[in-house]
Amino acid sequence: MLLTVLRRLGVFALTALVASVVVFVLLAVLPGDPARAQLGLDATPDQVAALRHQLGLDRSLPAQYVHWLGQLATGSLGISYSTRAPVGPEVLNAMQVSLLLVLAGMVVAALIALPTGLLAAVRQGRADGAALSAATQVGISVPSFLAGLLLVTVFAVRLHWLPSGGWVAPVDGVGGFLRHLVLPALALGLVRGAILSRYLRSALLDVQREDFMRTARAKGMTRWQALRRHGLRNALVPVVTVTGVELAGLLVGAVVIETVFVIPGLGSLLLRSVANRDLVEVQAVVMVVVLLVLALNLLVDLVYVLVDPRLRRAR
Amino acid sequence: MSTRRGRHALAAIGLLVATALAVTGCTAGASPKPTASSSTAAARADATLRLGLAAAPANLDFTSTGGAAIFQALLGNVYEGLLRLDQDGKVVPLLATGYTVSRDGLTYDFTLREGVKFSNGSPFDAAAVKFSLERVKTWKANTPGNLAALDHVEVVSPTEAKVVLTKPDATVPFWLAGPLGAMFSPDAVDSLATKAVGTGPFTVASYQTGVKLVLTRNDAYWGAKALVKQVDLDYFADASAAANAMRSGGVDALYQAEAYDQLASFKADPRFTVTAGSSQAVVVLSMNEANPALADVRVRQAISHAIDKKAVVAAATDPYFVRSDEPYPYDPAAAKQLLADAGVTGLNLTFTVPNRPYAQAISQVVQSDLAAVGITATLQTQEFPAVWVDKTLTQHQFDLTVVNHVEPRNVTNYGNPSYYWSYSNPAVGKDFAAAKAATDEDSYITHMTDAVQAIIKDAAGVWLYNPPNVVVATAAVHGMPTNDLGVGIGLAGVSVTG
Repeated sequence: MLLTVLRRLGVFALTALVASVVVFVLLAVLPGDPARAQLGLDATPDQVAALRHQLGLDRSLPAQYVHWLGQLATGSLGISYSTRAPVGPEVLNAMQVSLLLVLAGMVVAALIALPTGLLAAVRQGRADGAALSAATQVGISVPSFLAGLLLVTVFAVRLHWLPSGGWVAPVDGVGGFLRHLVLPALALGLVRGAILSRYLRSALLDVQREDFMRTARAKGMTRWQALRRHGLRNALVPVVTVTGVELAGLLVGAVVIETVFVIPGLGSLLLRSVANRDLVEVQAVVMVVVLLVLALNLLVDLVYVLVDPRLRRAR
Repeated sequence: MSTRRGRHALAAIGLLVATALAVTGCTAGASPKPTASSSTAAARADATLRLGLAAAPANLDFTSTGGAAIFQALLGNVYEGLLRLDQDGKVVPLLATGYTVSRDGLTYDFTLREGVKFSNGSPFDAAAVKFSLERVKTWKANTPGNLAALDHVEVVSPTEAKVVLTKPDATVPFWLAGPLGAMFSPDAVDSLATKAVGTGPFTVASYQTGVKLVLTRNDAYWGAKALVKQVDLDYFADASAAANAMRSGGVDALYQAEAYDQLASFKADPRFTVTAGSSQAVVVLSMNEANPALADVRVRQAISHAIDKKAVVAAATDPYFVRSDEPYPYDPAAAKQLLADAGVTGLNLTFTVPNRPYAQAISQVVQSDLAAVGITATLQTQEFPAVWVDKTLTQHQFDLTVVNHVEPRNVTNYGNPSYYWSYSNPAVGKDFAAAKAATDEDSYITHMTDAVQAIIKDAAGVWLYNPPNVVVATAAVHGMPTNDLGVGIGLAGVSVTG
């Protein structure tokens, strides 16, 4: 177990390092000067040169990178070019927002996927099962930003039930937090829920053809009982795998959803700092996202063990 | 020329190449004055005004960070200057009670308002004036060069400050009324990026970068107290998200609303008022005269004639904003003739286009208009601001480009031969210098008008239109400023009823 953890940490450090080099090089190749971006259209060349010197942008690229790594080693994510404040707190704050959003999206997806997947499997071949299956197919085809825009148009603009966007931190009021969370979580979760539902359905259908299911039915269980007692747990293993892959997609989807709903998460922060060519902030966000994805993968592995008792002994 | 007419002409020149570009038909339900509070509902003193804006401040320090967003939010609300611009663009006293100019135009004697304090408790006095104005030299952004003539400030007494120039400069009062004239407390400039300390009717309660700036009423303010207790400035990177927030009650007003395609539906909705005031901005199609073909005035005039400005305005904003007098009316035949006179055939031009909706829309119209007179324009979309500023503005790698110039009085850039369009006419530079050195208004106006006429004759650019300053508000909001003068959005006089 210790070895596994160490190996994972090693992989993380390596991935993070490679990611940071790639981001550094990409942003260096990208046209656009951070100093210019800060000073605006009417700055003189002298002013730009002075700020470049102040920010250390006139040094060679490797020198800038080493300087940044050195800062990271001391536990500082650096000082943002644009806000002139340490980026650490801002990135952590944005990370919490994005995590809450992804979590809520996942809950919505699970709430949709479990009943619809089960029903579609049980009622396979009948009209209602086919209708459910078709509905999830439609759900998959709707991009989450479109779902977001539709939800805003109906529930915020027409019905005035919920706010069209923005974010309230849970500490500033749970009611406001939930009200602002509902629509983006739905937009994010609907599509993922539809995808998961289809995976669950096909996994359940596969499981139904297994010998132990036939045995269960032979013992006198109804199809539903057999599914619940023996089928679901076995069907969940591939579903968890898909969920792990989907989580990364959920994070990416959150970037789009954050834009539609004006939510100050990692996605909005990343877009803003790339627009400002704020290298320090971009690096910090990328580091955090790499960390998140790896942590989520670890989490998925742990869930496997919970779902499948055989894996517990294997380790 | 009477003083009143003089001011009128001055204001007209203030709008870039104004003689060529008067927006006359801003009939989008507009009145240029703040909306009168004729409603009978009482304004609530404890109300919060939620205002939606587009571009967000990177931080709170406009002395070191460019872009209009910072001073737009803070000037007049948190920071104040000796002078300010009123809604008609006239320079009027604010923290000064008045000033006199010496006959040689070299010294300005200001008398200061008494009993004014900064929000950190420090007194506002002549020493603060000296500190703030002499500090402009060290500013890194927002054109400190416009006050280059300022030599030093003498503290005559706590309530009297003498501003001394190295050479006469008629534009000094105008710049003092803008961001450059903001008064800072000498003991509160260490962390301007995060803490704003001024004498204004509001203080900054919090700023969540890129998301929300909260201003609260300064109850110790020296003048008329703000009519609302709090102002939330909500920033929307996406114009349709802003429009949705307006429709669903998330904000009370949108300032400089950009979703032009939604204006018609806002106008049709009785819950909202839409006003289109004036702005300092002008959308210019610029031609790089470093390209030998474009250095020929006939080719530039041909391009000016070739473009259907009405179609451009309709594509980029809204068919409501129509303009009148036109130095180079849409005339493809004249354009072809001018090109033939210049002996130019098969001209190929690279057209760099910022990735903003207005610019994208304009580029399509311009491309097809130019094709009609035999000029091929190759469109090259560039991320704005980062890439456009780098490639086009700084490195001059373009033949044609289009951009919305928002800086006030930026017409003087035509006197700078190294500016991105490489336009050079020594007579224009001389006229701008003479205007700056003028000690009376008439001579200032004469020289400015001469310069502008020469620029138009040279077809130094194609001035497409002045974007309107569109304000959408609910019926409960009163007194929103409608004209954008390139300074702050004064919010102290805005009230919310019901």
